[in-house]
Amino acid sequence: MTPRLRRRLSTWGVRFALLVFLVLMLGPIAWGVVTSLLPTSALTQTPPDLSLSNFSLDNYADVLVTRGNLPDALFDSAVVATLTASLSLVLGSAAAYALARLRVPGSNKILLAVLATQMFPGIVIAIPLFIVFSQLRLVDTYLALSMTYLSFTLVVVIWILKGFFESIPPQLERAAAVDGASTFQTFRLVVLPISLPALFAAGVFAFIEAWNEFFFAIILTRVDIKTAPIAIAEFSGQYQTLYGEMLAAAVLASIPVVLLAIIFRRFIVKGFVEGAVKG
Amino acid sequence: MRLISSSFEGRRRRTGLVLVAPALLVLLGVLAYPIAASLLLGFQDATIAGGGVTSEWVGLANYERMLGDPTFGIALRNSLYFTFVEVIAVIVISLAVALLLNQPSGRNGFFLVVLLVPWALAPVANAVLWKWIYNANYGILNTILLQLGVIDQKVIWLGDPFLALNMMLVADAWKAIPFITLLLLAGLQNVPSFLYRAARVDGAGAWARFRHVTLPGLRIPILVAIVLQSIWALKVFDLVFVLTKGGPMDGTVVLNFLAWRVTFNFLDLGYGAAIANVLFVIMFVLALIYVRTLDPERRRKRAGNA
Repeated sequence: MTPRLRRRLSTWGVRFALLVFLVLMLGPIAWGVVTSLLPTSALTQTPPDLSLSNFSLDNYADVLVTRGNLPDALFDSAVVATLTASLSLVLGSAAAYALARLRVPGSNKILLAVLATQMFPGIVIAIPLFIVFSQLRLVDTYLALSMTYLSFTLVVVIWILKGFFESIPPQLERAAAVDGASTFQTFRLVVLPISLPALFAAGVFAFIEAWNEFFFAIILTRVDIKTAPIAIAEFSGQYQTLYGEMLAAAVLASIPVVLLAIIFRRFIVKGFVEGAVKG
Repeated sequence: MRLISSSFEGRRRRTGLVLVAPALLVLLGVLAYPIAASLLLGFQDATIAGGGVTSEWVGLANYERMLGDPTFGIALRNSLYFTFVEVIAVIVISLAVALLLNQPSGRNGFFLVVLLVPWALAPVANAVLWKWIYNANYGILNTILLQLGVIDQKVIWLGDPFLALNMMLVADAWKAIPFITLLLLAGLQNVPSFLYRAARVDGAGAWARFRHVTLPGLRIPILVAIVLQSIWALKVFDLVFVLTKGGPMDGTVVLNFLAWRVTFNFLDLGYGAAIANVLFVIMFVLALIYVRTLDPERRRKRAGNA
């Protein structure tokens, strides 16, 4: 074998292996989307009847209009996720700035300790929170759910933003101080405006986490609130599962977060993936 | 001059405490308090009756009960098996994919999009998708394997305890691999390329370059990936809830699911908290390893030794 042939073979080998990986990753998703477009009669044949005339948006119409459960669930998820992201950003940006710049004693140790709490199993905090929220009559409210979600979004938001604030040249803040701005004014009028990309990335992260959350949602909601993951899971619990409708609901609930992840992919990889290794 | 700057710093420090305080208060309320309360609850016999919680102190009774509880034994074994096998499978596959993507012929921005979609999917959406794929009568997995001749009759994938646990593992690994791949890829891109050139000049083959340049350079990312993946595998809940509800014959009951079932189905709050606390201790040890791995001071020391 000549070196050139070998190089060409290895190039094709790499491409082939990646193609296999691609099929394994996208195949299940593609099948989920196809399923959501087919009626039960086509899905219950072996092999499934994939003729083009079977494809329709009927399942989507069913879950959005006829059954009427999902739109409310999507709305509840949007409210909880937006509330969680907003609270995370307001509380998190202030704390991150203080930890990055204002020499809070022992700030690194505090942060590492708090980071360790992110690894606790949800069930540990779920039982006492459920008891407290029951006593405060807050079970089944947006507030209780969002406050609970802060337990895992807030620290990560602080982590992402702290890294960003540390990369801002300190001269900017010194110049503002010379001009007579107070520390808080400097933070609000100088630091926050130039940190918009990082704030977006952190907010998107919190939004996705809260939108997808299921475990606390089944514990802390009853009748008034039903988030999208709960609505989807209910399909699978029925005696006769309507797979087309179940997958249509799953696709609808996934579209917002998948779009956000794709749009903000550079931020997510920089702030989140690399942050996890960098420390 | 020193006086001015120190009062400037002092003012900044005071503002700093004011800015940290709200976040700290919230974390005390939704993290520190419930963790402490859960540890105490583990020593109580508590239940919910008529909208209120009634409880009495029982010492170590909940933990003693665990030792004689066969379901707890099954859950512990399932959790450990699930975590151990998933971590190995996910790390090995992710490393292979990351190495491929790091090749000049494998670099492609499209893959970033492909990797982020399973990551962003809600775990519940992932669970219903696999429930449909595994469906014994109409599932695509049986259809494909029958057509290929791998199996000669339909398999009830979620019907046998051990098989169901493994199928759950596949569904969870499918969702976990993309993130770990991105993490290892970020690590690979930090390995200085001159090391590879130097190894090549010294006549090192592909395997020797992987063994002596890539793996040592990836030590920290791999350790981080192992710890994070262990934690995520120990936390698995949504998949169990949707795919099997713990069945068949408790074959897919893991610690997290058992603690939830005992607490919210059987309303045995004290015993549920005790099980949760055991899981908490296991994960706390893992968290400690993670934090120590990332501690900058220790890192510097290690780099100095190398």
